Amino acid sequence: MPTLESTGVAINNDLGVNLPDFSSEEYKDAYSRINAIVIEGEKEAHGNYLAIGTLIPDKAEELKKLAVMELKHMKGFTACGRNLGVKADMPFAEKFFLPLHGNFQKAFKEQNLTTCFLIQAILIEAFAISAYHVYIRVADPFARKITENVVKDEYLHLNYGQEWLKANLSTCKEDLMKANKENLPLIKSMLDQVADDAESLDMDKEELMEEFMIAYQDSLMEIGLDTREIARMALAALV
Amino acid sequence: MFGLIGHSTSFKDARQKAMDLGYDHIAEGDLDVWCSAPPQLVEHVQVVSAIGKTIEGAYIDSCFVPEMLSRFKTARRKVLNAMELAQKKGISITALGGFTSIIFENFNLLQHRQVRNTTLSWERFTTGNTHTAWVICRQLEINAPKLGIDLKKAKVAVIGATGDIGSAVCRWMSQRTGVSELLLVARQHQPLKDLQQDLQGGRILSLEEALPEADAVVWVASLPKNLEIDKSNLRKPCLMIDGGYPKNLDMKFSGSGIHVLKGGIVEFFTDIGWNMMAIAEMEIPQRQMFACFAEAMLLEFENCHTNFSWGRNNITLEKMDFIGEASLKHGFSVLGLQKDLQAAFA
Repeated sequence: MPTLESTGVAINNDLGVNLPDFSSEEYKDAYSRINAIVIEGEKEAHGNYLAIGTLIPDKAEELKKLAVMELKHMKGFTACGRNLGVKADMPFAEKFFLPLHGNFQKAFKEQNLTTCFLIQAILIEAFAISAYHVYIRVADPFARKITENVVKDEYLHLNYGQEWLKANLSTCKEDLMKANKENLPLIKSMLDQVADDAESLDMDKEELMEEFMIAYQDSLMEIGLDTREIARMALAALV
Repeated sequence: MFGLIGHSTSFKDARQKAMDLGYDHIAEGDLDVWCSAPPQLVEHVQVVSAIGKTIEGAYIDSCFVPEMLSRFKTARRKVLNAMELAQKKGISITALGGFTSIIFENFNLLQHRQVRNTTLSWERFTTGNTHTAWVICRQLEINAPKLGIDLKKAKVAVIGATGDIGSAVCRWMSQRTGVSELLLVARQHQPLKDLQQDLQGGRILSLEEALPEADAVVWVASLPKNLEIDKSNLRKPCLMIDGGYPKNLDMKFSGSGIHVLKGGIVEFFTDIGWNMMAIAEMEIPQRQMFACFAEAMLLEFENCHTNFSWGRNNITLEKMDFIGEASLKHGFSVLGLQKDLQAAFA
């Protein structure tokens, strides 16, 4: 399996940031979990979009397209791990997503589209976008290229969820607030769980949180909530 | 639309402000929470100038507080994220207030043009330094005579003479005000020599040498932390213009013939319906503001959508004339010494 040669010195990318040593044991160990989370996240996103499609049959085709993109991302990130000679720790990732996955499944069974969209298309996508933005700055050149392309797609997905929630805001606002209250803390605790591993990849927890807050706030703004509602919803995650 | 990027003067104030605005959750958070908080567009405002021109504006709090200055990455993110927000909101010209422009300059943020999917357009931002420099000069010209200081015979010390604002003040003082002598003080010697040559005059001195000689002192550098000055060595009267940020000269010097004036502050002719200046601890928050903020408003009034003040040492006298004229036309006046103080002197 090809791996990057150890350079022994920090590489400088064109953002003027010192890059970590991608071949160190510490980096690889942390990467085995972070990479697994990303792969699992994309895999579950694929399943979630297909599931949502069964609840809105006239949108099923569109949602299938989104789902297919997620599979492509999954393959891309799998290649990133291979490139560094890292075996993704999939059991860890499955456990990591379990609470959020459980909430999605529950909402799906109740045919609660608002919660399904909030969890998959808003919370998870905003979390992914923000993490990818932070990662791009410190990623190895191969992963950076892959991630840059993925981010562009993820914005489409975020946008899809936003549009649906925006169109249905008058009837789904209460559900949205409730779903936020139940699921946003999960995102916070997920971030806490991987903070040390992310740090090993030179990704600051503080920055990850801020990026997530920016993406999430923007998204809620697009959906049509006002500043105070957003403050109540989003900032609650910080504390 | 014009924009202002500001921040609270301390963490304690920031929390209080957040509480007042109904952002309870973040108000209760510790400094780490604030470090992760995204910038907030907290207020929209409409302003009608003295000649009847109406403009719209927005105030963005970067969620930066001075306690974050030691956290380089955090401070950098706060500034860039606030600038990105301003651009995303379609604001044509935004002033970087308080520490924002200082961080931008000192941390060399010019090389960080890409913020996520946004490429920052520098022409949408201004440091506001041209207006600040003009205001400081006018404050000196208007208030020195009130204390009996004849500027034509006076020695004026400029502390931080080689900075963006400092060098502009020096040029104006030597060419327009015609002060008797400029005393040039700054940390680095070579830029001082270059400035002296550019001005074709002025005397280079250390702070300790300059202060006892000066009839007026313009401070545009931050005050050294452990600076001990024997007030009895200073000339009386002495006018000190506190043009630095934050403004902390008052407690150090004020009293017994030494008059400290908050520099770089303007007052609008009528109340503006905003709450934002209360954050900046203005005495009359409905009317007073930093001149750098007012510059963004002036550029909007004048439909002059360029990064009017940008980079170092680009402030010309012509630019100061332009912004000064606009300032007066649209209803701004420079902050003067308190009336009771002047009366006491008279």
